[in-house]
Amino acid sequence: MPTDYTTLVTKLKNTTIPFAEYAWDKRPGGDYGVVALEFEAGALHGDDKKVARAFEGSVDLFMKGRDTAKIATVEGVLAEVCDGCWRVNNIQYENETGLIHYEWVFQVEG
Amino acid sequence: MPYTLKVEGMEEITAMLAKAEGAAQGIAALALYDGAGVVADEISRGARGISTSPFRYAAGGRMRDPSPEERDALVSAGAAGIAKFRKTGNSVDTSVGYGRSGYVSINGKTKPAAVIANAINSGTSFMKKQPFIRKALNKAKDQATEVITQKVTSLVEEILK
Repeated sequence: MPTDYTTLVTKLKNTTIPFAEYAWDKRPGGDYGVVALEFEAGALHGDDKKVARAFEGSVDLFMKGRDTAKIATVEGVLAEVCDGCWRVNNIQYENETGLIHYEWVFQVEG
Repeated sequence: MPYTLKVEGMEEITAMLAKAEGAAQGIAALALYDGAGVVADEISRGARGISTSPFRYAAGGRMRDPSPEERDALVSAGAAGIAKFRKTGNSVDTSVGYGRSGYVSINGKTKPAAVIANAINSGTSFMKKQPFIRKALNKAKDQATEVITQKVTSLVEEILK
């Protein structure tokens, strides 16, 4: 597992927001975050071997209402771990549940 | 004794280069169309590969998968189309995706294709995420760049003939 990713997960879990790893199935009711690696985004090959790999993953944050402090917390952690290797990919509001869903996409070396 | 150096054919080269410069935007647009096509095809392929299970409401703290109807809607929506080209100065750009795919009908209800694509790609609080668009973009990036470079080279060669 890439060390950057492990650091990211540890730091996110140390925040006040409840964070889970690879929680594909669990349905968030209120404030809840999910972090996971999703796929290999690219690799550098040498001598028929993978020399370096880049993984892409995402951080999802579900909130009741738009809480700028929580958004800043997550972005602070991302910036600490890998500055410039992440972006906000999507912001959605769900009519049925009233939740706001922020999605950040990051790439880490593994 | 002074030497005279005479180069012949400079006018033709200048004229050719001027011709190529004038055609730059046209060349860029043609190449971009091919490159965007590669990306759009890859997204369509990704949409066909979305894993589904029959529709049920997300209950008991579990999320649901996309339904087969939702996947079929994305596949048949003429989805992952190429937007109108935007030309600014000497550059041309476009976007690929479901933005212009319009509306699709799922079990008698009309919904925007872009919203369904977004919900599957990013997930919601009740639907599992399957980042098929991001995966497709990563996969198609190198091939699209290659196709664009080849097209530009061949078009420029044609003009300079």
